Amino acid sequence: MTKKQAIKRKVKEPEPTNEQSSASEPSDNEEDDDLLQAVKDPGEDTTDDEGIDQEYQSDSSEDLEFESDEEGNYLGRKANNEAEGDAEEDEDDDEEEDEDSDEASEDNDDAEEEKPSSSMTAAVQTKVEPIIQIIPRDPSKPEYEDSDTSDEEDIRNTVGNIPMHWYDEYKHIGYDWDAKKIVKPPKGDQIDDFLRKIEDPNFWRTVKDPQTGQEVLLTDEDIALIKRVNSGRIPNAEHDEYAPWIEWFTSEVEKMPIKNVPDHKRSFLPSVSEKKKVSRMVHALKMGWMKTTEEVEREKQKKRGPKFYMLWETDTGRESMRRIHDPVSAPKRDLPGHAESYNPPPEYLFDEKETKEWLKQKDEPHKRKLHFMPQKFKSLREVPAYSRYLRERFLRCLDLYLCPRAKRVKLNIDAEYLIPKLPSPRDLQPFPTVESLVYRGHTDLVRSVSVEPKGEYMASGSDDKTVKIWEIATGRCIRTIETNDVVRCVAWCPNAKLSIIAVATGSRLLLINPKVGDKLLIKKTDDLLAASPSLDVIDNERIKTAVQWSNAEPEEQEKGVRVVITHFKPIRQVTWHGRGDYLATVMPEGANRSALIHQLSKRRSQIPFSKSKGLIQCVLFHPVKPCFFVATQHNIRIYDLVKQELIKKLLTNSKWISGMSIHPKGDNLLVSTYDKKMLWFDLDLSTKPYQTMRLHRNAVRSVAFHLRYPLFASGSDDQAVIVSHGMVYNDLLQNPLIVPLKKLQTHEKRDEFGVLDVSWHPVQPWVFSTGADCTIRLYT
Amino acid sequence: MEAENGEGQVQVHLKTKQEHYAVPDVPYAIDGSVSTTELNIFLNALLQSKGAEGVDFDFLVFDEYLRGRLCDHLREKAISFEDAIDIEYVERFPAPEPQDCLLHDDWVSAVKACGKWILTGCYDNTINIWTNKGKHKLTIPGHTAPIKAVDWISMDDENGRFVSTSQDQTAMLWQWNIASNAVECVSVCKGHERGVDSVCVSPDAQRFATGSWDTMLKIWSAGLDDTSEGTAKRVKESGVRTPKMTLQGHRESISAVQWMDATTLVTGSWDHTLKVWDLQLEGIKTEISTNKSIFDASYSKLNRLIVTASADKNLRLYDARTNQGSVVRNTYLGHNAWVQTVMWSNTEEFLFVSGSYDTQNKLWDCRSPKAPLYDLLGHGEKVLDIDWSNPKYIVSGGADNTVRVFKSGKATIENMETK
Repeated sequence: MTKKQAIKRKVKEPEPTNEQSSASEPSDNEEDDDLLQAVKDPGEDTTDDEGIDQEYQSDSSEDLEFESDEEGNYLGRKANNEAEGDAEEDEDDDEEEDEDSDEASEDNDDAEEEKPSSSMTAAVQTKVEPIIQIIPRDPSKPEYEDSDTSDEEDIRNTVGNIPMHWYDEYKHIGYDWDAKKIVKPPKGDQIDDFLRKIEDPNFWRTVKDPQTGQEVLLTDEDIALIKRVNSGRIPNAEHDEYAPWIEWFTSEVEKMPIKNVPDHKRSFLPSVSEKKKVSRMVHALKMGWMKTTEEVEREKQKKRGPKFYMLWETDTGRESMRRIHDPVSAPKRDLPGHAESYNPPPEYLFDEKETKEWLKQKDEPHKRKLHFMPQKFKSLREVPAYSRYLRERFLRCLDLYLCPRAKRVKLNIDAEYLIPKLPSPRDLQPFPTVESLVYRGHTDLVRSVSVEPKGEYMASGSDDKTVKIWEIATGRCIRTIETNDVVRCVAWCPNAKLSIIAVATGSRLLLINPKVGDKLLIKKTDDLLAASPSLDVIDNERIKTAVQWSNAEPEEQEKGVRVVITHFKPIRQVTWHGRGDYLATVMPEGANRSALIHQLSKRRSQIPFSKSKGLIQCVLFHPVKPCFFVATQHNIRIYDLVKQELIKKLLTNSKWISGMSIHPKGDNLLVSTYDKKMLWFDLDLSTKPYQTMRLHRNAVRSVAFHLRYPLFASGSDDQAVIVSHGMVYNDLLQNPLIVPLKKLQTHEKRDEFGVLDVSWHPVQPWVFSTGADCTIRLYT
Repeated sequence: MEAENGEGQVQVHLKTKQEHYAVPDVPYAIDGSVSTTELNIFLNALLQSKGAEGVDFDFLVFDEYLRGRLCDHLREKAISFEDAIDIEYVERFPAPEPQDCLLHDDWVSAVKACGKWILTGCYDNTINIWTNKGKHKLTIPGHTAPIKAVDWISMDDENGRFVSTSQDQTAMLWQWNIASNAVECVSVCKGHERGVDSVCVSPDAQRFATGSWDTMLKIWSAGLDDTSEGTAKRVKESGVRTPKMTLQGHRESISAVQWMDATTLVTGSWDHTLKVWDLQLEGIKTEISTNKSIFDASYSKLNRLIVTASADKNLRLYDARTNQGSVVRNTYLGHNAWVQTVMWSNTEEFLFVSGSYDTQNKLWDCRSPKAPLYDLLGHGEKVLDIDWSNPKYIVSGGADNTVRVFKSGKATIENMETK
């Protein structure tokens, strides 16, 4: 009964409108195919069931898709199937009989079979069901059918999709839903089959359901369907191939447009939103957020593909190229010596002692002089195989194994590159290059030299207690002024309108008229110094005990001394203010009164500091501003003389300052130290040295800036005068350029002293140096 | 290859401007390695036919004296050995001979010769007059500071007049009666504010110019009377003369003054410039900037070139006629120290003498920049001034308190001839 029902359903299937499609079961297919095959040649004697089964199974996979396509049609029809089942059964029977009679007559079949669906598989499958009747089908569960798919296996037998011949040896063929064995129907032998073939008129349409082992009788409809399929016609007999064509859409091309409205302008413009979308996608592609299908595919491929990795990371292409272009060469071996010869001269052969020693070092073979024992053979033929060959090969391999794979790149920096690019000294001319004149006359070391502002004469002070006035151009000593004590410092008044030299000798500061140059000026200066202004300001006690002003004694007047300023301690340094009215003296032993400022016109002295911040070494007036530089042993303090306050403190980071010189523009200060250094301070830049120069090999005693040329010079105990180019630019952003130019070393060494003082000619690029060898030298 | 070693042959034409030494103008192939000695022998052999006895020649190859091998000279000038080379030969200037040593009490900073008289200025503030035979005629005190320069104004049989300048900021005009050997100070020229370093009397002897450390150039009248107003008597009474003209322009001391002609002056200064002044314009005509301080400059009327001395051992040759800034025509290397003084010969176009702090005087030919013709040795100290006004005598004063007199070679020969 179910068989009929199934067939019925099948028949109706292609017509969705027809509610009668049963499709209670999403048919399984494999078997259908199998059956089909079997049915193709119905005349064939299928004695060998197994073979057929196998064949079906092997083919089964091909049909899967086909079924699934059809599947949708079955859904939702099941409810009716059952109701109609019985009635249809009868019809089927009739049909079967009909078909028997006229197999060949397809015309009838077509009519009767009424369009078997394209899925013949389903049809076949349903046929099996009624025979076994073992499936506990619950027709009231349409949802089960809904969810079911046609490619699901036939579930009447629960063994699943296995080769059924596994059950060949058993009496059952599987298990039903209640876990009961599905017993194979009794199988007759070949004689039985033969008899059935003769006797049973339906034998030809009997097929075996491999799933249940039951025999199934194909209905006439089935047969008709099969026939139609075999003959390549449309399986559904009801399908009218020649039904009139309904032209839902006309094929005629109209001459006139249906609507006469022209396209909107907008339609010609590229879509903005599309463009945005595309650009977004392009951007996403670019950024790697989105991937093209190809890329995705490739990635998948990669994921799926076999994974290998290099055991040695360096075994890459690059490494192999490196081996070609930049091979790590094997260590170079010494050439073999005589000892390695097969027939060495006898002196190379070990004597007993050597042998003993060689053997003794067995445990530490690296200490041996030779790693082998020289042996003598009569001929090369007799040399045995090298016994250590294998071992050495092995060691070599170990070496290679441990050989560094990565080559260390040696940092190869050209030394020239590190040297700052300085202009050639040739381009920085003029500067002094040769010693031109030697001024001889002093009998002890010359401490100090100072040049007249016009540049015709100079004054020098020496330990022989004299001051000498020289004519620069000829080297002629014009005058010698004797003093009572060692002359520590001389300073020519920078004011060209005055003819005064300040001489620090012992604890007295002498103001001397050198009586050279313009006679009128000499006279004027004399007049100026002779008249002592009335002291309207009474000095306090502190100053009075420190300094006394007085006119020179007549015998000193003869020598040119005009004014004597007696200090309470030895004076070490004297320096003029640029205008020539003020001068400052330094008494290192003066404690808190070690620096003094004297005013010439008023004959007054001041003590600028009430406290001493250290041992004052030297002082200096700023050339432009009312500033005062005070160098103690370690630091330099800059004071504002008007506001009477500390402006800045320069940190030299040196042990002992010997001297300083200020650039004529007033923004740069040079400091010399006894620890061989010269420090260049850019006062605008920082309180730390802009540059530290270690040009000298011994204590630097003196530095000096040229007033006009961008030059400075330094004198040191190593007897050298070093001339350097020191260009200060008006552009504040440009740092000073410092280029050492020339080392002038002509002074002789005496008692560990070399050059004691350097001083520039005020107009010419000439430098004077005084030395411990009692001379003053001029370099031009 | 051969030429590189100086072994190659060079074709030469021997030429001369001295007609009596002329040789036929035929090319001679001579060895490239010859020097002056060989050429001299060769030339003398040629001249022997003419009856001239051994004469020393110097050879000019491309306007420069041959010193050393001919091939080296050519290579240096980058001249092909293939060309025929013109060699001009001149009779070698005979070596000057030291003749006398005039002892002074102090450094001699100024010397000037005129005829047989030598005028010297000394650091002991005196002026001395000597004969060229070494006889001291007169010591003239007067200045209060070292004399820096002296110059003769005029000289005749009875009277000689001269001017001296000193560091005492004055120039003094003197008249010297030769017969009575008496000297009188005609006038004191006051006006400079510092030492007067240089003086030069104009060719017409009417004026003289002084250069000073106060950077001024002053022109004074050199006449006995102060021309403009007052009698000679009055001048004598006052004894003071004021400058006729003051020219300002230099920034440093004027170290050298020389008249180029009656109205043109050239000055050299420590401010690294040479200036040519036009007195009619009362201003600067030309300025030559150099890069060294000029200690002395000398102008030659014969070749119109200026030679300067400076601290860097070199003498430099300038041409005031080119107005294209600093054009150093030539540099003469040879001195070992500061060159203090230099002077052209009055008669020989190419010769000049120089004195330096390396105690040497040198006689130069301006065509021979590499080496001087002769070194005039004798001084034991710095040479402060040199003079060759009298073509027969080269006179130099130095810091060894002496004046050395060298008899110029020409004079020697002439003397011999006259004998």
